[in-house]
Amino acid sequence: MSSELRSIAIVAYRDIARFWRYKYWLAGQVAMNLADILIFGLIFNGVVNKDLIPDYVRFVTPGILCLSIFISSFSIGREVGVELRREVTQYLLTLPVRRESLIIGRLLGGAARGLIYQFGFLVFASIILAPPSPEGWAYVLATSFTLALTMSSVSISLSTVTRDFNMQATIRSLTYYLLFFVSNIFYPQRVIAARLGPLAPIVDYSPLTMATNIYRWAFKYDVLLNPLSNLIGLLVWGLIIVVVAYKLYLRNLLRD
Amino acid sequence: MLSLHEFKAILRVVEWDLMKLKRQKAFIAMRTAWFIIQTLVFGYAISKITRPDIGVDYYKFYLLGLYTALLYSASIARAYIIADEFDDGIIDYHLSLPLKRSVLAAGRVIGGAVSTIIFTVPMMVFILYLVGGLEPISLLTSIASALAFSTGVVSFVVIIVMKLKSTDTTDILFGTIDAMLVRLSSVFYPLPIIKALDLPAYYYLALLNPLTHFADFLRALVLPEYFLLQLTPAQSILYILGLGIGLLVVAIELFERKLEAGGVK
Repeated sequence: MSSELRSIAIVAYRDIARFWRYKYWLAGQVAMNLADILIFGLIFNGVVNKDLIPDYVRFVTPGILCLSIFISSFSIGREVGVELRREVTQYLLTLPVRRESLIIGRLLGGAARGLIYQFGFLVFASIILAPPSPEGWAYVLATSFTLALTMSSVSISLSTVTRDFNMQATIRSLTYYLLFFVSNIFYPQRVIAARLGPLAPIVDYSPLTMATNIYRWAFKYDVLLNPLSNLIGLLVWGLIIVVVAYKLYLRNLLRD
Repeated sequence: MLSLHEFKAILRVVEWDLMKLKRQKAFIAMRTAWFIIQTLVFGYAISKITRPDIGVDYYKFYLLGLYTALLYSASIARAYIIADEFDDGIIDYHLSLPLKRSVLAAGRVIGGAVSTIIFTVPMMVFILYLVGGLEPISLLTSIASALAFSTGVVSFVVIIVMKLKSTDTTDILFGTIDAMLVRLSSVFYPLPIIKALDLPAYYYLALLNPLTHFADFLRALVLPEYFLLQLTPAQSILYILGLGIGLLVVAIELFERKLEAGGVK
């Protein structure tokens, strides 16, 4: 058991260490996420109807926390895709590590990248909104970990579906649009209800809506939200996605 | 001056690129799904939260910006295809063909631009229908300007990918360029609103950005009430055209003088 844990830790550590190899990419992504808050938020502040959203920067900041997790956790999927194309996968399979440990290590490595990357944005959100209470921090940590694990699982499993480079990039973009635009990150619930009518509940059950709701509650943007029901929903999503991703990655690892 | 033989050779290269479009059914389906989400979910919802007094119907403004972003992203996606071709040795195979390098370069760029247009025209028609600008003249002008814009972007992509020669770096670099150029433009918010932010560097970058000019040209073409322009439509389209031709010439020059098997020497 302890050797299994050690193997998982080694695989996860390898992925975390490789994260720093992409310093310029990381710097670019941080700049982009900050630009999303500052520029997109500021400009939309001038365009948005104040009766609906008094301050768009504050409104969109919890969603940017989700975005930062998505970007960093998805970086592992890109690497898994490259490994498949270059057949590094064959090398990984020859390592004296059980396949289950390899997969769990990779999923955790991806999740750790998400958490590391998000840390600065949590501080930023505390400044722009309000620092969470100890209970709020507990919810934030649980949400961030579940979301990061879910996103790294999604990205790894999607990257193993095809070896086509263009296809991998397109799948990534489509996943982004599906997850982010079919959620309450950019627009409030009542606008979604008004625009999407009977389809609005789809947005309510999106994992990103649930994560954003918890962040909005924890950073005191909307204290009337129920964090527990959202966290339970997010955990259910996370469990389903991680199990499916685990099985898909295992199957595709062994596929010729 | 181009001989008839060279012209036919360019057409053959273009045809090769277009044939590949047939094999990209899954790619086209996914991009279409992406378009539907942006048009009918994001655009529809975000336009509901905008102020009614910004000077234009934001949904129409957004749709024309969305087409610009879509055309740009589809053109940028050529980078992934060409980088894959590098990995698979197809570029080396192309270089061994009895074709002049300039013919090969022009054919690849035009082929890339034309297949991007074929892929995005149904979406353009849908958007023009939604904004009430679906008339033969505006449709033809939009297609012609889109071709000029896409030629510029594909040329840019060819220039960069030939230098990078790596799928890894291509992915990171184009992911960043793609996201940055869309943000630093008037694709999703009018230029005067960017100007009002009092961030001169941001405003001038947006003003230099070809995406701004293509999006604003389309808006001026099909939205008669649209006045939030910083350049006239004629100035904008000349800028797009100049950039397209200029970058195409650079791409041809690079193919002719610098390209060797394995990338740019």
